[in-house]
Amino acid sequence: MRKLNWMKPALAAFGFCAVLSACESGGANTNQPATKPNVDSLEMIKKEELQKIFFSIPAPVEMASLIKSNGYKYDAMLLNSTENVSKYTGEAKQAINLGVYGADLSYASIFDQKQESMNYLAAAQKLARQMGVDGALQDDMIERLNTNQDNRDSLIKIVTEAYTDLNGYLKENNRIEVSALVVAGGWMEALYLSTRYSAIKDPALKTRIAEQKLSLEQLIKYFDKFGEKESLKEMKADLMAMKAVFDEVQMSDGKTTSSKNADGSFVIGNNSSTTMSDETLKKIETLVAQLRSKYIA
Amino acid sequence: MKLIRLILPLMLLLPFAADAQCRAFTKNKVLPLLDGYVQNDNYNSAVLVPGDEAELLLTFYSGKEYRVVVGSHPVLGDIEFEIVDTNDEMVYSNKTADNKSVFDFKMSNTQQLIVRVRVPKQDTAFSHEGCVTVLVGSKEK
Repeated sequence: MRKLNWMKPALAAFGFCAVLSACESGGANTNQPATKPNVDSLEMIKKEELQKIFFSIPAPVEMASLIKSNGYKYDAMLLNSTENVSKYTGEAKQAINLGVYGADLSYASIFDQKQESMNYLAAAQKLARQMGVDGALQDDMIERLNTNQDNRDSLIKIVTEAYTDLNGYLKENNRIEVSALVVAGGWMEALYLSTRYSAIKDPALKTRIAEQKLSLEQLIKYFDKFGEKESLKEMKADLMAMKAVFDEVQMSDGKTTSSKNADGSFVIGNNSSTTMSDETLKKIETLVAQLRSKYIA
Repeated sequence: MKLIRLILPLMLLLPFAADAQCRAFTKNKVLPLLDGYVQNDNYNSAVLVPGDEAELLLTFYSGKEYRVVVGSHPVLGDIEFEIVDTNDEMVYSNKTADNKSVFDFKMSNTQQLIVRVRVPKQDTAFSHEGCVTVLVGSKEK
């Protein structure tokens, strides 16, 4: 990404010239054919840069929400201890664990665990400070959590806002690679948490775990955009190892249809189906636990 | 050209200032449109200019109710946004809904969809730039 940083001002300068008619009439290069390939390459670079910004996989709150709606209980023992926060050194490990704490924070907030939510937000803030991105999580968030203790909706709102803010701050401050690691760490933790419940006996949870194949593929494609960056290498290799297991998940889809219900609501679907064997589920459970242990150690 | 030499260094700083404003824009102007929904994706916001197009591939889960919000600075005009499937088949276009910036729907299956955002070209001497944000939320049961 550093290579691209200088291109941003260049793009701006180019855009500025392009829109100023004075530039066109007075510019010495107007009739030189060499300018055309530059326009194309700048447009290509801008397109690539936008692809790095516009990237999304479902946030950890989505998995936490499914766990809760399926009637499972909160289990604090599953989470990465906030006491570990001081031992993370190196930007990659810090970023991944920022994502891990983000997912744990989402899980605690969905289960309406106020004190735990505050503890995890504090841990995330501490880690952000260690990484030099302390502007990413606003100082008043713990205070806001404290003030809104009795309102679960507010708690979830503050937590999801914090996650967005963190992601936004990293993207805006040219730390997109760090942002990618945070997202990967959060995704892995959310997957880990969902595999700690008896998915083998719960078809809905099992299916949702199998469907993580889609998010994983997106994540890998996103990592591919950064080339062979040293800081992303280890996580990318681990994501590829997970892909090898997720490739056993069978997914089929049909033609997408959209219709309106009698109440005017819009429904979209494609008759897709997802199949995963219990054996594959066990492999996923084992692998994600191994990888997660390595990263939080 | 002298004027440009003077203005250019200032213009070089503008995208960074504008980027910083996007986060505030998202928080103050776009996030409130997700009221009643839990935001469940990452931060997707950038400074775009007329003619720009951005795409976002998203996974939507079966049985969930979603809201997609595309917020943009008014200086960019009516932003076009459409939802297509991974075969590029059109599912929804806000052109058929008075250029609304919000789209609510329910998924009957889990599938990936693409949100495509297009900033209309402007026929003016000066081209404006502004923040465009895409947010996704789902109903918490």
